Amino acid sequence: MSVQPNAFFLDTPGGPRFCQLYSAQGSIPRGMVLYVHPFTEEMNKSRRMAALQARALCAAGYTVLQFDLHGCGDSSGDFGDATWQGWVDDTVFAGQWLKAKSSAPLWLWGLRAGCLLAVEAAKSLGPCDLLFWAPTPSGKPLLQQFLRLKAAGDMVGGQAKVIMEGLRQQLAAGHAVEIAGYALSRGMAQGLEQAALIPLAHVRRVVWLELSTRPDASLTPVAVSTIAGWREAGVTLQPQIVNGPAFWQTTEIEEAPALIAATVASMSTPVDAVRDQATSLDMVT
Amino acid sequence: MNYREKALVFHCAEDTLLGILSVPERAEDTGVVVIVGGPQYRAGSHRQFVLLSRALASAGYAVLRFDYRGMGDSSGDARDFLGANADVAAAIDAMQTHMPNVRNVVLWGLCDGASAALLYCDETSDERVAGLCLLNPWVRSDASLARTQVKHYYTQRLLQRDFWYKLFSGKVAMKALSGLLRNLQMSAGRSSPSQVAASFQQRMARAWSCFPGGILLLLSGKDYTAKEFLGYAQSDPAWQAAWRHPKLSRHDLPEADHTFSDGQARRMVEQLTSDWLQTQAPIDNAPRQAPLVQSS
Repeated sequence: MSVQPNAFFLDTPGGPRFCQLYSAQGSIPRGMVLYVHPFTEEMNKSRRMAALQARALCAAGYTVLQFDLHGCGDSSGDFGDATWQGWVDDTVFAGQWLKAKSSAPLWLWGLRAGCLLAVEAAKSLGPCDLLFWAPTPSGKPLLQQFLRLKAAGDMVGGQAKVIMEGLRQQLAAGHAVEIAGYALSRGMAQGLEQAALIPLAHVRRVVWLELSTRPDASLTPVAVSTIAGWREAGVTLQPQIVNGPAFWQTTEIEEAPALIAATVASMSTPVDAVRDQATSLDMVT
Repeated sequence: MNYREKALVFHCAEDTLLGILSVPERAEDTGVVVIVGGPQYRAGSHRQFVLLSRALASAGYAVLRFDYRGMGDSSGDARDFLGANADVAAAIDAMQTHMPNVRNVVLWGLCDGASAALLYCDETSDERVAGLCLLNPWVRSDASLARTQVKHYYTQRLLQRDFWYKLFSGKVAMKALSGLLRNLQMSAGRSSPSQVAASFQQRMARAWSCFPGGILLLLSGKDYTAKEFLGYAQSDPAWQAAWRHPKLSRHDLPEADHTFSDGQARRMVEQLTSDWLQTQAPIDNAPRQAPLVQSS
């Protein structure tokens, strides 16, 4: 049986935002989960996986809200008018809306840059749990990658550096730049560049899932040090590398079934059972 | 003109599809159904279909864009454009249910979405479909890809001095040479008649030739898919009748890439679609309002 979400436009101070609410079967949900989508095309490419995961979580007793940020997906507004802070405000609004529906634990589930937004929104949302899918530990490299798309498109023999510098100057002067069909405003570029997965002590736990198709994959040094920082802040953190493709950037739409299973399993494990877990990683296939 | 957007959930076989309907304040009796191509969901690359829907709704046209089964937020197993006929039919039904005053439907498709639109017409001859907007239609086969590469890449390469210099100095890798030879062989090859009858490209040509309504064809200049389509449609016998279609409007956008990924190209597509819709509506409605007597 397929789970059918309720699709609607939620009125927010910033305008109507497209939502899909997957209501948990049964009386009391195990948790209220807000999905925070990644940046630009990564959001499109991962739509199928987000839908599959939302359905699986719903079947496992969670209520899931999928929410399109300002200027993204089916939400109102143009991407070029959106700012990073506006997206944080959107995420907080959606989190509060979801919290008002039930006292079940609140989860913020981010994918890639969505993890950065989830952490910033968590500051205003009180106690919550975080689910990270392939998080980008900081926004700076992501912005860099995005600007490079433009440089690659315009490049005529070794001019990439000059073009990148030009783009940064344009942004610094307050002008938007258009990259791969997206107008990037200064407010967006600055916010993204400064965003990082800074530990928050009031977060109860973080489920951190990475994907790789290599059996010998390990966490990057940046991920290892970020995870250490969260643990020092007293947060229970479960890292795991799961077998699957980087579906947010593959040419065709790809699925990672092991990630869906690992997500439900990790979220369903009581915090006490994972506290003091060793840092070693088991590859799940 | 003001418009509003509505989320629709509708059924297709055992599955449920999600679509977004853009509803103008005063809707024309022609509505547009966007068929999404490639690895995209209903928003399109860089939200092209969201912005197109809003632009057309502002001009008075209701637009439905949706995910077919197994794509985006619709349920079911993943499938491609060759298996989308039931989904397209369900979307047209949904458009009519929610917009009862819409009598004609235009199918708008980019890449294999354009191919899916033609395949739908070939399969169903659905009389509700009054027009087709086809952007960079997808006709790829191994032979057409090879021909396009030979024509647009190797021809250019063979004219370059350094290619010959490298060839004679032994710097052109054997791999590259054998790739060229393989492509030349494949590009010269013709499919057998039985394969031709069954291929999706031939069914597209048949639907195009027989289509009674208007066809808007938009082709990007910086796009292999468009070049391949042109190469195919200009050389294949089945397409000769298609080119002579009396209601064909063709526009080439030399600076545009495959998905019209800059604001200027995107706005041109919106404008060309909207202008074309205006010229279509009265012609297609005329016979239904007052049946014409054949004069000859």
